[in-house]
Amino acid sequence: MNKIIINGEDIKIEGNSDIEISIGEASKFLNVQSVKIKIIKNTDIIIEASEVDIKLDFYINVLKDIKANIYEYKHDGDYKFQYKYYLEENSHLNVEKICDGKNIKEMTVINLNGENAIANFNLKTICKSLEKYNFLVYHNAKNTVSNILNNGVNILDGKLEFNVSGFVLNGMTGCNIDQKARIINMTENSCIIKPNLFIDEEDVIANHSALIGTFSFEEVFYLMSRGISKKETLNLLTKGFLLKGITYYKEILKEIINEYWR
Amino acid sequence: MNILKIENLTVEIGGKTILKDFNLEIKSGEIHAIMGPNGTGKSTLTKVIMGDTNYKIIKGKIIYNGKVINKMPVNERAKLGIFLGMQMPVAIEGVSNADFLRSALRTKEGDNFKLLSFIKEVEELTKKLHMDSEMIHRGINDGFSGGERKKNEILQMNILKPNIVLLDEIDSGLDVDSLKLVGESVMDYYKDKKPAVLLVTHYQRLLDYIKPDFIHIMKDGHIVLSGDKSLALKIEKEGYDKLVGDIYE
Repeated sequence: MNKIIINGEDIKIEGNSDIEISIGEASKFLNVQSVKIKIIKNTDIIIEASEVDIKLDFYINVLKDIKANIYEYKHDGDYKFQYKYYLEENSHLNVEKICDGKNIKEMTVINLNGENAIANFNLKTICKSLEKYNFLVYHNAKNTVSNILNNGVNILDGKLEFNVSGFVLNGMTGCNIDQKARIINMTENSCIIKPNLFIDEEDVIANHSALIGTFSFEEVFYLMSRGISKKETLNLLTKGFLLKGITYYKEILKEIINEYWR
Repeated sequence: MNILKIENLTVEIGGKTILKDFNLEIKSGEIHAIMGPNGTGKSTLTKVIMGDTNYKIIKGKIIYNGKVINKMPVNERAKLGIFLGMQMPVAIEGVSNADFLRSALRTKEGDNFKLLSFIKEVEELTKKLHMDSEMIHRGINDGFSGGERKKNEILQMNILKPNIVLLDEIDSGLDVDSLKLVGESVMDYYKDKKPAVLLVTHYQRLLDYIKPDFIHIMKDGHIVLSGDKSLALKIEKEGYDKLVGDIYE
């Protein structure tokens, strides 16, 4: 287990036995810090960020045959983060990310460079202001798999945007690419999902779904038909929507949800 | 004694009339079975009684113990003790059966809710219904087969203990053994609590386990023929066309 704690301008590392990590300046002029991580053994990495006021670039390299889980939680700050992942042959990366920041702008680039590399992303956010998440997923090798799940609940002054683009080059056969994005919009503000698939190969399984709205009538009716009030029904559905698939930060996410939906 | 009365109920959806001057009265301790060909309004009837706002009541009344409940929200109807076991219960990912049932029972029982009793009862019922004990921790109907969903409806009925039980094609999707389990479980509940039961079914086989006092055949949005259990056997033997045809001739 490795932990990266980012608070203000400070970046602290705890227990880095399974990874090689270096911290530096990506750009002095733009005040951008960088964190370079090479994952050399199967491991879990925790990233906790709070009240961050620097721009940060992550470079994460998952070596051949390595399995890594990254659990990330960011809160209380304006974030401009960029992530670049490089996955080698037979590597397997799972990322669970909880966002409860003020303003968040992220760019995530996933390079599936080795055959049979797998990247699973599960992002949950409670958007209260401006949040924009861009994903570029490059299937640069055969039989690579990407599952990108973005779920957000938009509240208060929230304006949430997910842009996900997947690329499969010609000759990269046997790839499996899945993008799912859903925003529960509890405001009158506009939210955006742009799902893009750029596929130049026939032997590919590709799925995408994008949904912005509230919970379905059927879901609400079913719960209310057991006597549960509309308010509690929406609370239950929101909790379920956000908690699904979250493991490491489940309890923290429950606490966050309880703050907004008592 | 609880009485559910439907008076001259006319209902439409999307400009199409589904129920026309429908009349029925059900009392505690009575089992009514509604049968009839597809598209005659059987499922609509149960949904409208439960308070599905997709349907527009044009005229008529739904009366529970003397009170008109036409405009009552669905959760308030449930609190009165009306329960609908649905034909195709929706799957809701992320919301566990346990959280859902606990919320529903806590709403019903308020301060009298006892967590340990709830857990014990759920354990007993999952065993009785031959359900996977882990299902309680899974999302509501998430990944459930058709049969498991129906059993989950019956489990909820047993937990919530309603006065008026509406069962919409609770037999569809069930294999022979599951049908027997579900049928017997409904009858056990009936013998214990004596609710009013209104069940919608296409087939006589469910009535081998749930013994109705009255059978009604619906066509074109209202009841065209009523009788005792022998009517179900007659339907099985002769079919709706002949029976309902006889009425109009």
